[in-house]
Amino acid sequence: MDLDYRLALVLLLAVPAAGAVLCALLGRTRGYVIRWVALAATLVNVFLALYVALGLLGERSDSPIAKTPFGKAVTFQPELVPGADVDDIHRTTWKLIDFGRLGAIQFYIGLDGINVWLIVLTAVLMVPSVLISWNSITERINEYYAWLLTLGAGMLGVFLAFDIILFYIFFELTLVPLFFLIGIWGGPERRYAARKFFIYTLAGSLLTFLGLLAVVVVCYHKPLDATAPELTFAIPDLVRIVNTHLTMDLPADRAFWSTFQYWVFLALFAGFAIKVPLVPVHTWLPLAHVEAPTAGSVLLAGVLLKMGTYGFLRLCLPLAPDASLQMGLPLIGILSVIGIIYGAFCALAQSDIKKLVAYSSISHLGFCMLGMFAFNLAGLTGGLLQMINHGLSTGALFLLVGMLYDRYHTRQMADFGGMGAKLGVLTFCMVFISLSSVGLPGLNGFVGEALVFFGMFEVRPLYAVLGAAGIVLGAWYLLSMLKGVFFGPLKEPEHDGHEIKDLCSREVAALAPIMALCLFLGVYPQPVIRSAQDDLRVVERLLQNRKRVLENQSGDALVQKPRLVDEPRRGESP
Amino acid sequence: MMEILNNVLADQFRYLLPEIILVAAACVVFLGGTWRADRNLWGLFSLAGLVAALAALSLTSDWEAPGGMVAVFAAPLQWDGLTTLTRIMALGGGVVLLLFAWKEVPDRQAADHHACLLIIVAGVGLVAAANDLITLFLALELISIPTYVLLYLPKHDEAAQEAALKYFLLSIFSSALLLFGFSYLYGMTGTTNLSAILHTLNQETSARDIPILGQVAMIMIVAGLGFRITAVPFHFYAPDVYQGTSNVGAALLAFMPKVAGFVALLRVFGFVLPDGVTPRGGLAGTGLSDQLPILLWFLAALTMFLGNLLALLQDNIKRLLAYSSVAHAGYMLVALASTPFLYGDTSGPNAASALLYYLVAYGAMTIGAFCVLSYLSTPSRSVESVDDLAGLGQSQPRVALLMTIFLFSLIGIPLTAGFNGKFLVIFGAMAVPGEHTHLYVLLAVLAMVNAAIGGWYYLRLVAVMYLRTSHKPLQPERHTPALATLLVCAILTIGLSLPPAANWLLEATRNAVAPKSLPARVVQSDR
Repeated sequence: MDLDYRLALVLLLAVPAAGAVLCALLGRTRGYVIRWVALAATLVNVFLALYVALGLLGERSDSPIAKTPFGKAVTFQPELVPGADVDDIHRTTWKLIDFGRLGAIQFYIGLDGINVWLIVLTAVLMVPSVLISWNSITERINEYYAWLLTLGAGMLGVFLAFDIILFYIFFELTLVPLFFLIGIWGGPERRYAARKFFIYTLAGSLLTFLGLLAVVVVCYHKPLDATAPELTFAIPDLVRIVNTHLTMDLPADRAFWSTFQYWVFLALFAGFAIKVPLVPVHTWLPLAHVEAPTAGSVLLAGVLLKMGTYGFLRLCLPLAPDASLQMGLPLIGILSVIGIIYGAFCALAQSDIKKLVAYSSISHLGFCMLGMFAFNLAGLTGGLLQMINHGLSTGALFLLVGMLYDRYHTRQMADFGGMGAKLGVLTFCMVFISLSSVGLPGLNGFVGEALVFFGMFEVRPLYAVLGAAGIVLGAWYLLSMLKGVFFGPLKEPEHDGHEIKDLCSREVAALAPIMALCLFLGVYPQPVIRSAQDDLRVVERLLQNRKRVLENQSGDALVQKPRLVDEPRRGESP
Repeated sequence: MMEILNNVLADQFRYLLPEIILVAAACVVFLGGTWRADRNLWGLFSLAGLVAALAALSLTSDWEAPGGMVAVFAAPLQWDGLTTLTRIMALGGGVVLLLFAWKEVPDRQAADHHACLLIIVAGVGLVAAANDLITLFLALELISIPTYVLLYLPKHDEAAQEAALKYFLLSIFSSALLLFGFSYLYGMTGTTNLSAILHTLNQETSARDIPILGQVAMIMIVAGLGFRITAVPFHFYAPDVYQGTSNVGAALLAFMPKVAGFVALLRVFGFVLPDGVTPRGGLAGTGLSDQLPILLWFLAALTMFLGNLLALLQDNIKRLLAYSSVAHAGYMLVALASTPFLYGDTSGPNAASALLYYLVAYGAMTIGAFCVLSYLSTPSRSVESVDDLAGLGQSQPRVALLMTIFLFSLIGIPLTAGFNGKFLVIFGAMAVPGEHTHLYVLLAVLAMVNAAIGGWYYLRLVAVMYLRTSHKPLQPERHTPALATLLVCAILTIGLSLPPAANWLLEATRNAVAPKSLPARVVQSDR
């Protein structure tokens, strides 16, 4: 096998994009061919994603990030960058929009420990999205698969991008395909849901865009080397410049950087909080989820919500560390806790299974946010792991709800009862995934949630305790749903009399890889944790340094037990 | 001395070759139109005229421009990068609008219509070249007068007559305001030469007595030119006139006067300074008064909000696009308002180049959107209301796709020229250094809020096309020139957002506004 890793990274974006164009051009009538083209494109992408993931692990084992020539890495170090600079293989030379001698917006993509598993998750979830749509989508097939694959390319681009404008471009581009997917193939309220989703997210992300531009402009106006100003849009460079300024801590600039960070934090918060979604701005989510076709819900819950949490992790924490520490922790901590509990109670009150799963997403994403805003390695790792876990579990839950809906054309819990007797395999999968979602030890949910609460408990025990209540509530609504729908006396909804069969091999093929991954991550999460650790430690180090500085400045303890956090961790070079 | 002056003046005519060709072609078409009414003949002839003018332009742009102080301070015309770029925009827009008009204009009126179009194109080129207030005024009138004819030509119903009359009266009113402002400039400086005026103002206004007169001049000029760029509160003719006239007339009104108006603003206020004139205190365009950026700031904010909010209420597509063109004038005014603070080094964020970039992007997407309406209309059924587009995604997938590209570009979704334009404008506003930073960041926030509001009504059109089914599908006839217009606009809209075309355009706009001799304050460092 001799495919260049850098080429593979580009292909990861090019294959779904090319597949989308091909599907669109094939026309409305060749449904059979289109489905196979889409499936082939997604399968190739899974292969490519695993291939580049292995490539990253190989690259990192040769030169771990902690041992860079500069000592401890102060910023992200993406590997396998296409068009890499000869002097620095973590930088690219490919330019998109050239600003002359000062700098350029670059086509800067790469892999590191933070995005690699999200890439794999996205690629893996694309396959069931195609499979679940196989028979349920019969109208305008070419457009459907074209939009689905475009969405796939957009999502991969968001995670791969290391240029701030490129990130935003992909971030916005995911809106368009999902708007059409919901609007054309969605449920009865689809038009309203699609427009609400689009405008809500657009409004937030426009403010985020301003925040990102503000960082670029400030780094341009305040270059580290005053004789050589440069205009950079690269996320690693911006993180380095901002944090070097913070470390230098010139008295003249202190007030400026402090206020500046607050505004940047608020701007980024506007877009990412809507995407996550955090509680006051979550109203688009249940609507969009319920109205979207199954594949749309799977990708929306599985991947698109992660773009919000990923944005916080990649941009908000490193670019506005002080504001994240001082304002982010109370603000996001409280909103997450409210989200966890409110989402869980809403889920409990639903009669529609799909709505239940949608509200459970709000609850589960609260765990991710809590973990990341603990600012320690355990919390960050837990948050990242929880993103992947939630993608797998909730993606699979939406798949299963979709399969049930395909059979009976209803999602009302009251219509069902004792389905276990009729649909044995489906019930087994549902129980398995529900338990993983609840956080049963041995399945994936447990590891992430445990790490999140370890992390948060060190910082704000109250949030951790309140958040943990969400786990109990999660068990409550999912298990009562299981009990009502799948156990007890058989009660079939009315249907047109055709025979209802258990899962066919296509549907099993859609679910099996997800379930295997759930089990694998539950038993042996080490590969993910270890590969992400170096990169998460970069973020952690930035934040912990700032935390120390801020505490010294104000004398006001941000943490109840600072000693515990500041202890050097195992394996870190002193 | 006199001899040098005569040489310089005589020299100017060589550079006027493209405009001379255009006006000559227009005269032939005007006269010929009385002899034969044939849209193909006169269309092709006018097209040949535009292409010949483009060829002449590429020829003249190689010539060494007449330099030296005499040329700058005596000649009525100047030939710099801004002139060339504007002429290319005008000629390119002319070609697109000519193809667009092919279908809409009946045989009987084709000759008159195309001749007027050629003169408007020549007028826009002259506005960019003007280095004298009188020349500038005449060039602007050269755009206005044929526009009256164009508005009146295609339709003779009551709405069209009202539109033409409204435009006529307001245009004359705005010209009067402009002249009034110009007279103050003359009174203050004793010359009508623009370079000399700017030089005098930039040198002399350290004395505090002149700016009172300057402020009157500034307000009058902004009001006069604000009419052409549909800045609020001089916008209110736009919806009625756009609705009343033909699609091609609306597209022309949305593009050509805006190019002329913005380029004239750049010239008159000295945002793009001629060689030998230095900016006052490092800030371009504040020779008249320090309040100029503030005035433009409020104008931008008002124009964006009013345009976008009123567009939300429209059910007629042409009215909607009219308010949208008001809103986009607002975004361009954001760039204009930030221009004074970003004068100098053009390799960083630069507002004047962003403005020109936005104009090109705006032209492609707006003309494209109007052309879709024209393409879909048939003599028996013209596309007027939003509901007429229902189900277009099913009945006319290709046209719907093109319309979607234009609408997404108007929203500012990435991979369209509209996104790049908005990005550059906002980037410029965010990068304003010094004490005004907060004001301009606020303006950028307002622009973003407006972009989100804009998203709502453009998306409504997309939703109508794709998410609804039609009761009575449109059945347009296939029409090659209109299709060509659509394709050109779509290719520009997509292509200008991607390398290499995006970089070409950016480079061209930067060169157009680059100071010929760099001022001392090249890099702004303190903030």
